[in-house]
Amino acid sequence: MSEKSERRVDERFRILVCIDGSEESYRGLRYAAKLGGGVDADIVLCYVRPYDQGLRSGGLQIDVARENMLKWGLELPGLKYLKKGRDMLVDLGILSLDWAEKHFHTDVEGTSLGDNKIDYVSPEDKKIVLKLKVSSNIATGILDQWVLGEYDLIILGASERWRSRKSKSFWDPAVAEKVAINAPCSVIVTRGLTEGNGHLICTDGSEISLEMVRRDAYLASRCNCPISILSVAHHETALAEAEAAVEQAAELLKEMDIEVEEKMVKVGNPVEQIIETGPDYSLVVVADSGKGAIERFFIGSTAFKVMEQSYNSVMIVR
Amino acid sequence: MKAVKSSINAKARLATVRDRIPSVRAQKMLALQFRRNLLVIWDKKWFVFAMLVGWGMMQLPLPEGLSHHGMVVLAMSVMATILFVTEPVPLPTVALLIIVGQVVLLGLDSSVVAKSLMKDSVLFIMGSLMLAVAVVKQKLDKRLAFLIVKLTGTKTSRIAFGISLFSGILASFIGEHTVAAMMLPVGITLITLTSNDQKKVRNLAAVLLFSISYGCSVAGIGTPSGGARNAIMIGYWQEFFVDPTNPATFVYIIDYLRWMEYAYPIFLIQLPFVTMILLFTFKPEYNDLSRAVVKLRAQVQEEGPMKAADFVAIAIFFLTLLGWIFMSAGLGMGTIAVMGAAAFLVAGLVKWEDINSGVNWGVVLLYAAAISLGVEMKDTGAAAWVAESFLSLLKPLGADHGIGLWAAVSVLTTGVTNTMSNGAAVAVLGPIVLNLAQAAGESPIVLGFITSVSSAFAYLTVVGTPACTIVYASGYLKTTDFLIVGWKMAVMSTIMMLVAAWLYWPLIGV
Repeated sequence: MSEKSERRVDERFRILVCIDGSEESYRGLRYAAKLGGGVDADIVLCYVRPYDQGLRSGGLQIDVARENMLKWGLELPGLKYLKKGRDMLVDLGILSLDWAEKHFHTDVEGTSLGDNKIDYVSPEDKKIVLKLKVSSNIATGILDQWVLGEYDLIILGASERWRSRKSKSFWDPAVAEKVAINAPCSVIVTRGLTEGNGHLICTDGSEISLEMVRRDAYLASRCNCPISILSVAHHETALAEAEAAVEQAAELLKEMDIEVEEKMVKVGNPVEQIIETGPDYSLVVVADSGKGAIERFFIGSTAFKVMEQSYNSVMIVR
Repeated sequence: MKAVKSSINAKARLATVRDRIPSVRAQKMLALQFRRNLLVIWDKKWFVFAMLVGWGMMQLPLPEGLSHHGMVVLAMSVMATILFVTEPVPLPTVALLIIVGQVVLLGLDSSVVAKSLMKDSVLFIMGSLMLAVAVVKQKLDKRLAFLIVKLTGTKTSRIAFGISLFSGILASFIGEHTVAAMMLPVGITLITLTSNDQKKVRNLAAVLLFSISYGCSVAGIGTPSGGARNAIMIGYWQEFFVDPTNPATFVYIIDYLRWMEYAYPIFLIQLPFVTMILLFTFKPEYNDLSRAVVKLRAQVQEEGPMKAADFVAIAIFFLTLLGWIFMSAGLGMGTIAVMGAAAFLVAGLVKWEDINSGVNWGVVLLYAAAISLGVEMKDTGAAAWVAESFLSLLKPLGADHGIGLWAAVSVLTTGVTNTMSNGAAVAVLGPIVLNLAQAAGESPIVLGFITSVSSAFAYLTVVGTPACTIVYASGYLKTTDFLIVGWKMAVMSTIMMLVAAWLYWPLIGV
């Protein structure tokens, strides 16, 4: 990467929002707008279109139908959704249409329509980007996009359309899970994301959890969200440890000048307790324990189980 | 005071979110790369699984009535089916592997295998895809849309029926994917001209777009040129039953008109039901589309009068159609399809680059390999063995003859086609069903028709039929929409087909 772009990446807080046209993705975008409102934050809206196999359309490439639509002057769905997201940002006051606008196009092998990107740059050098990406599958596309931009946060919905084929989703995890597991940065998986109800940080007292507390505090401060802390003890005997973990986290937050709304300690199965407490808050925050795939398969990871089974939105912090 | 403090700390705080040390970031990139490599291998798990299943099957002791070669072919079919459904590798790879498998595992000569790949049905599939691209590129859809609207008036229900009828009739001759690609912008234009707010026209969008896709899908059964699967079934009948020296077997040569006699009425009866089911499931928000129609009229008038090129295109289209109806017995449907495509190219109405990029040649290869495998299934007796086993399963249910058997075959085909493409379903199930007919003493023609017609019933998923896949690319429909209306369509179509088979086909002599 050139020095200029490296500097840019270092100095700015970059959010990648994955749009697929569903209501959920636009809720995620609203949350991103809250987090990315300041001058030092860039927001990138990304729509990933998977390659067409051709077999499913009987041998006629779907691009023929798409080109026909373009000839009629109709907009393709991907760009339509991205523009809807852009208009939403304009309404929220984050983006102004008189910013400098630049269009880019990259050819991608295997499809005639390629990648499209529209950059909006403000006078203070804040960037909002609309990216329409073509990739072999949606999760790979999002992860490829991460490599291009090295974002600090990825927001995507656990929404239905991402399951590309009903039968396959039975065997393959959904896109949201794949991205959440493999991305090197924090990921918010949204389900009915609400605003203003605060973050629920789930800590188990480990070093990784404390790091997570620190990082989430930064994010919460960007959007002025109240923070609550929860720790779950497996058994009555571990209660003291759980309480100590909560106190430690509270201390850390106090050092950073952040007030803690609520402190809770519960006893029982960690995953169940977290999921039950979750719905009262906007976001359930868990730390990625860094377990490998095989460990996860056999032992299981609390963070990922929470992400899969939770009733509301979950953020995995890395 | 606090505000100043937070702005000074902003940069420092940002540093806490990221790894402060460059080597940690480099480590993370390596970890990501490693994870992604693992992801790639894990994605191919189904390929390894399929290979293991195939190898395992070939090691099993031979069941009675199945030769070694039959077992090999059966193993190859199972492997191909697993790969079709799970798609761990690009699909044309499966075709290549089938070719390699036939040479290496069955010991056939390479040239013999190569010859078995290209038959009249494959030429037909290739030719009709080329014609499809040529027709879509002619941009006659605006005039067609205008014609439809002129004839049906402006009420939503009548427009929906009109769209289904016209798309259907056209699709029955040139294939459902062509017409879906042509009519898709028509549907979307009518929707966007009614209202720009997507939420206000949700149900209207569903009604109009599904009218297109289901009109095309039910039409695919009407004529042999309606879909690749019909050509494949005709090819199988010819391969398996027609003996040039025995004139009594010529009854198995089903030509264009004969197919239409059997299947066209089934297509036509379904159309009113399609519109009724759609209007019942999605109640459109607007009962009258006159605003949209007026604007569409204005758009069409901008096009100007029809040019000479448009007339030539329509002429070539009708000539190809007549060729299929009257000359296919002598020349073969494939030849005529290819002639049509050549005519478009000679007349300069379409460029080769358009055809090249618009046709998915991998699909042609796939059908060729699947048919070749199907023929091998019959030649080695594997199909007969599977048929007998299946029949013995059905006996206790009393479904081994008559309408029970028909229903069983229909359900099996519908199930298979909802997981794979229609053509592949017929290519794989064809030999088994035809042998089933022989073993059960039923007419292979009836069962063959039931299989071909049922393979069109893949309404439950977005990717079930080509028309549905193309219509979904518009972005106006959700996957759940396909499910809630698809099952009703599947039930209606199955009932229509069984009723026709029971009452109508005996009348025309089966």
